[in-house]
Amino acid sequence: MTKMVGSSVKRKEDARLLTGNGNFADDITLPGMLHASVVRSSSAHAKIKSIKVEEALNHPGVVAVYTGKDLEGKIGPIPTSWYVPGCNLKEPPQYPLAIDHVRYVGDGVALVIAEDRYTVKDAAELIEVEYEDLPAVVNQKEAMEEGAPLLHEDIENNIALNWKAGEIPEGIMENAEVVVKESFYVQRVFPSPLETRAAIGQYNPGSGELTLWCSSQNPHIHRMVLSEVLGISEAKFQVIAPDMGGGFGGKIGVYPDEALIGYAARDLERPVKWIEERSEHYVAANAGRDEYIDVELAGKKDGTLEAIRVKNTANLGAYLSTMGAGVSTIDFGMMVTGSYDIPYAESETFGVYTNTTPTDAYRGAGKPESTYQIERIIDLFAREIKMDPVELRRKNFIKKEAFPYQNAHGLVYDSGDYEKPLNKALEAINYEELRREQEKKRKEGKLIGIGFSTYVEMCGFGPSEVVGAVGFQGGTWENSTVRVHPSGKVTVFCGTSPHGQGHDTTFSQVVADKLGIPIEDIEFVFSDTKSVSMGWGTYGSRSTAVGGAAVSFASDRVVEKAKKIAAHELEVSENDIEFENGKFQVKGVPGKERTFQDIAHSANMAWNLPEGMEPSLEAQYFFKPENFVFPFGTHVAVVEIDKDTGEIDLQRYVSVDDVGTVINPLTAEGQVHGGIAQGVGQALWEGAVYNKNGQLVSGTLMDYTLPKARFFPHIESDFTETPSPVNPLGAKGVGEVGTTASIACAMNAVVDALSVYGITDLEMPLTPEKIWKTVQEKEGNQ
Amino acid sequence: MQNNEALKNALPGCQKFEEVEENVYDSELGINIGPVKGVFTAKVSQVDIKEMDSYRLLVEGQGKPGKFNGDAAMELVEDGDDTTLQCSADVEVTGVLAAAGQRVMNGVAKVIMGQFFKDIEKEAKKIASL
Repeated sequence: MTKMVGSSVKRKEDARLLTGNGNFADDITLPGMLHASVVRSSSAHAKIKSIKVEEALNHPGVVAVYTGKDLEGKIGPIPTSWYVPGCNLKEPPQYPLAIDHVRYVGDGVALVIAEDRYTVKDAAELIEVEYEDLPAVVNQKEAMEEGAPLLHEDIENNIALNWKAGEIPEGIMENAEVVVKESFYVQRVFPSPLETRAAIGQYNPGSGELTLWCSSQNPHIHRMVLSEVLGISEAKFQVIAPDMGGGFGGKIGVYPDEALIGYAARDLERPVKWIEERSEHYVAANAGRDEYIDVELAGKKDGTLEAIRVKNTANLGAYLSTMGAGVSTIDFGMMVTGSYDIPYAESETFGVYTNTTPTDAYRGAGKPESTYQIERIIDLFAREIKMDPVELRRKNFIKKEAFPYQNAHGLVYDSGDYEKPLNKALEAINYEELRREQEKKRKEGKLIGIGFSTYVEMCGFGPSEVVGAVGFQGGTWENSTVRVHPSGKVTVFCGTSPHGQGHDTTFSQVVADKLGIPIEDIEFVFSDTKSVSMGWGTYGSRSTAVGGAAVSFASDRVVEKAKKIAAHELEVSENDIEFENGKFQVKGVPGKERTFQDIAHSANMAWNLPEGMEPSLEAQYFFKPENFVFPFGTHVAVVEIDKDTGEIDLQRYVSVDDVGTVINPLTAEGQVHGGIAQGVGQALWEGAVYNKNGQLVSGTLMDYTLPKARFFPHIESDFTETPSPVNPLGAKGVGEVGTTASIACAMNAVVDALSVYGITDLEMPLTPEKIWKTVQEKEGNQ
Repeated sequence: MQNNEALKNALPGCQKFEEVEENVYDSELGINIGPVKGVFTAKVSQVDIKEMDSYRLLVEGQGKPGKFNGDAAMELVEDGDDTTLQCSADVEVTGVLAAAGQRVMNGVAKVIMGQFFKDIEKEAKKIASL
């Protein structure tokens, strides 16, 4: 039998999803179902003077209208799930609907429920809210200043947290031969999943059970948090994530809207459906990034790096989101040294409340920002000491022999060989020749740039003790049950929650190899708190490294038991049995064997089991990893800038990623490509923009430039494989590497192209207008 | 230009225009241009009045698509035998008007202004012919 792990198996889920046979939230229709609409604040900061609901209530077809005051005492505030310790974290209450004070455009002020979707939209427009506007502040640096408008009256200077890690001994920075400083802004962007958010609640007044279908990357976290908010037993509360059109971190969060729908379904004793509109999504769903990063990198003239000091001023939005406190602190700050052996590091983060939509994890969550600062500053350092940027990187790489390697902040990188992907990438682009060509074209007046990013990221969340110690309100281990039916067909349950990643396929490959059965015999169940006993969901590139590992271990347990049954039936000792290609065989006696299917039948019938053995063939495993995993790699971008239009032509993009053992090269490559699109998107096109009054002015897809397929050349992606010792698959995470690496990579290429003008930095996104103005100014064409 | 009836007739979709105190009016404006659609209740005030010369028109409006604040400086400039009406305006908007309307706002403002001036001209001729 061909080994499944490592082969490019086509996605099992596609036949269903691509032929319109998926089951997305909006496909769900229940008898007697009502529809909901949330009325949202159009003011960024205001006192609510009055809300007039009568006209809406009198509108034919309207069933109920709730305001924040109506819900007071009936439904709790939505708590964050990440209490980062030691940073004086201040969490203001976030009520499902604002009670008398709105703090961002999009803050919910009323919930309208009606018989159909059209009616509910019409009725929502009849709600009259009178606001008394207050001064707003949208920029985190301005929000920290004395005299800035305060969002929450007891939170001084709007500072939610001040976190520090590491200390650089005195004299190191002061006496360094070279210190390069720069300030970067990693702008706010939208995760922009194809499908917006959704929630459907159904309550059984007889049993007191509530079912909530919602767009969640982690249904068990939703159940845990919302059972508290709604005051319902976890045992009477089922959360199901149906098929989902992407999440990218934007659906990790437990949102007020989901609590509202659960509440309304229970209160009205009828199913209630809420589907978020696209324009609503942009103001009400968590955004990503929005961090000002000041960096100082110290080292010697020969390129030896000695210390890095980083300060991050992060915009948390108006409230603390589910993972809001962790992104800019733990995720960002612990990894500031990147893939380099820098002995000393100091990280500091200010998290600040502003009159904007809350920010939360977005693909990479802190790691793209961390990679951005180190990969940008190392380029500037190379330029300062007139060294090739590749040479400087190579010189400071953590050496292969140094793994497991402890970085300056104490994180232990599991495994690595950073030269391997670098060399492969250099070969792919023919580096020396490319530089010569660049020189030649520069002489012809052309703007050609080559950019690198030799990143490492922390993912595979994670070791429970560690995530607990850093304040995360979850266990982040993973759970799988392998259930073997009498026929030998298998149903596998897992606590991760795929929403486009293809776990059905990749995890099936793992099971197929373990049990020696065809992939078609394996079905997976995810994303349902009633079917899967517990689990922590899909984010932080944890699914394969943690969930896949649980699947692998549970499969081992099945084989272990099956082997005992086979030995019993074949009347030999267990040690005499060999399991290969789905057959339990007596060593050295060809033909004396039982198939996996034989044993499945035997186990389920239990007519003749070893004495004392429980019937059936099913095993569960809870896998708690000892460490995170640390994928790494090299990305290279080649750009040419059109001086007349300011347009950046991305001519080549080469990625060589090491994500440990690759289970499925096809889906892994898909992950990398999508990640690169979102990272390059941030560097070149995307940007969420608020005006000074806190109005979002990039609130439609006409105003917010999502990258299109035609913006990209064919992405030349490849892998090297350095297995992780942390899990039995040797897998690291692949979901976020593309984004983590590519923002800095694209930026470095553009800055390299413009370096002929002495340009060292530009603010993202690098729109044609910005580039054109820069070029015109430098060329003296005022 | 400072004739109430003339202003009412020239303001876009003006359904109500009542003086509530000197030079301050409560009005209802029906606007229907692209995504900017709906009835806005607005407080319109004339300030810095220099009779026969210039004034500023302040409009604070609120409607379903959001709020708007307009500040228009109107000036009559002698130009030989003719008189030119010059206007420059700042408008701040919120809600859907800001999120979705930003791109079309200039266009919408131009259309509304264009209408306003055409109607003012009409009104001026009407008054002149009396």
